[in-house]
Amino acid sequence: MEQTIAVIAEHEGGSIARASYEALGCATEIQRIVPAKIVVVVMGDLAGDVGREIASLTHASVVAVHVHGLHSYDGDAYRSVLADMLLELHAAWICVPGTTQGLDFAPGLAVRLGASCVSAVENVLEQAGRPVFVRPLFNGKIVAEVAASIPTVVLVQPGSFPEELGERERMGSLEERSIAWQPTRSRVLGLKTQEPADAALSEAAVIVAAGRGMGRKEHLEAVQRVAGLFARSAVAGSRPLCDQGWLPYRQQVGQTGASVSPDLYLACGISGAPQHLIGMRGSKFVVAVNTDPEAAIFRHADIGIVEDAETFLSELSHQTEGPSGS
Amino acid sequence: MNILVCVKQAPEPEAAIEIDEASRWVRVRGDSLPRMGRFDECALEQALICKEQVPGTTVDAITVGNSAGAAVVRRALGMGADRGMHVLTRDEGYVSAFTTASRIARAVQDRSYDLVLTGVVSDDLGQGLVGPMLAEMLSFVCATSCVSLRVDTQQAIAVVEREMEHGITQCVELALPALVSVQSSANRPRYPSLSNIMRANREELETFACAAFEESSHAEELVRLDHPRRTRSVVFLQGSVEDKAKELLSLLRGRSLLR
Repeated sequence: MEQTIAVIAEHEGGSIARASYEALGCATEIQRIVPAKIVVVVMGDLAGDVGREIASLTHASVVAVHVHGLHSYDGDAYRSVLADMLLELHAAWICVPGTTQGLDFAPGLAVRLGASCVSAVENVLEQAGRPVFVRPLFNGKIVAEVAASIPTVVLVQPGSFPEELGERERMGSLEERSIAWQPTRSRVLGLKTQEPADAALSEAAVIVAAGRGMGRKEHLEAVQRVAGLFARSAVAGSRPLCDQGWLPYRQQVGQTGASVSPDLYLACGISGAPQHLIGMRGSKFVVAVNTDPEAAIFRHADIGIVEDAETFLSELSHQTEGPSGS
Repeated sequence: MNILVCVKQAPEPEAAIEIDEASRWVRVRGDSLPRMGRFDECALEQALICKEQVPGTTVDAITVGNSAGAAVVRRALGMGADRGMHVLTRDEGYVSAFTTASRIARAVQDRSYDLVLTGVVSDDLGQGLVGPMLAEMLSFVCATSCVSLRVDTQQAIAVVEREMEHGITQCVELALPALVSVQSSANRPRYPSLSNIMRANREELETFACAAFEESSHAEELVRLDHPRRTRSVVFLQGSVEDKAKELLSLLRGRSLLR
């Protein structure tokens, strides 16, 4: 019997998050393993418009739940509306973008549905005719393959699946519903843009990025000097480094910072946690420097250098700036 | 105000982890000790700030795990938590977030907390699930990934800023009781004070025996562990620091990346 995979679309002010199409990509992988139909669910006060766009781009079956009064994301609204919707659909798998929004509502939704829940899913494998979900552990050093009883809420790691544009055999469709909803215990007061990512990061051809493996804030001088060797370069930092105040947040690369795709990404003392990788995996050429040969970053680098980052960067500067440098 | 902070210890993020085929879990190479998760520390720090701001606030710290877990609760007491609670299990390795959240919910079911704080994710499993699952089980309103928190006990509300992508934060007002998961921010977790450490070492932790947990119908099962798939095939440079620097410079010039 054909089962149903629901995909929850994420959007803000009518703009659809790319992660929604990646969640559809994950659903498509599940569909390769078990006979299932995919239904995309979108909710909010602009659901109709968003639903139409998704249906036209993906040819998927879309249910748009127009929720009067829901202008921006509210966890209670999402859990309440989606629980009813997903029970009605008898969804066996529920693919949710693993963004900050998805991680906010989906775990509680899983509890409400009596569903299992797997987060940060980067891949789907098959085992004995059922999907098995692959997710990172220990800062990306190990991956776990997890089987889960259905229904399963799958939080899809952004940047891990290709954006899926549709089921080819079926015609897309759009069903519209309408529901009223009132918040009872939460109130959205507004959105703020904190420190927008430094424009220099998206324009840079070369990014020299520093992580906690740089050791001390003073050692960032070595990073600045190496950045100066290149035309159109910028200095960036990992989230933990920015938390320590070594660089401002506007220079952060990662899931909650900037996404960059320079010609060269030089990762210095960065371990390669999944949240950081999301921000730089579009780089054309990646060089990583880390004292730990097992650091996850080396699985996502073209060139690996097992050395103390500050020592190595100083040597790079010395060879280019020193009297013996060419 | 009564605050509960959920804490867990994990290998430090830089620890060398390897797969242990025998136990079907991992072991830590070397001599690094487990420590309180980075975001759990942030959650505890946030609780202690609330305690300083609102007179009459108590902060309880709870952990779920085997006997080794008591250390992280004592660390919380050392930082300034008032009471320590330990849901004692015999678990080793992977435990479903649903199970962990259920154990906490069961332990505190007769208590009345205004605020529950957790870290946004743990340092080992990094799932981000226990906090929001616990909120659902307690029927608390929930906000995750918060970089700031302000409590107004008069109005019985908490105002948080939730960090989203692209440098955007969402400001939300929550009616207490609430669960907030804490993301790192400029609030640096404090070091334990000597007087608190001494008190922590003497203090009796409230220990909850863990009845064999009935298998829930909705469960995740660890099938196997593996090494992550590579997205690029790395070439490690060889030789001394000088050799590697020279080789890298040559490589970069060859690719016209360096002037």
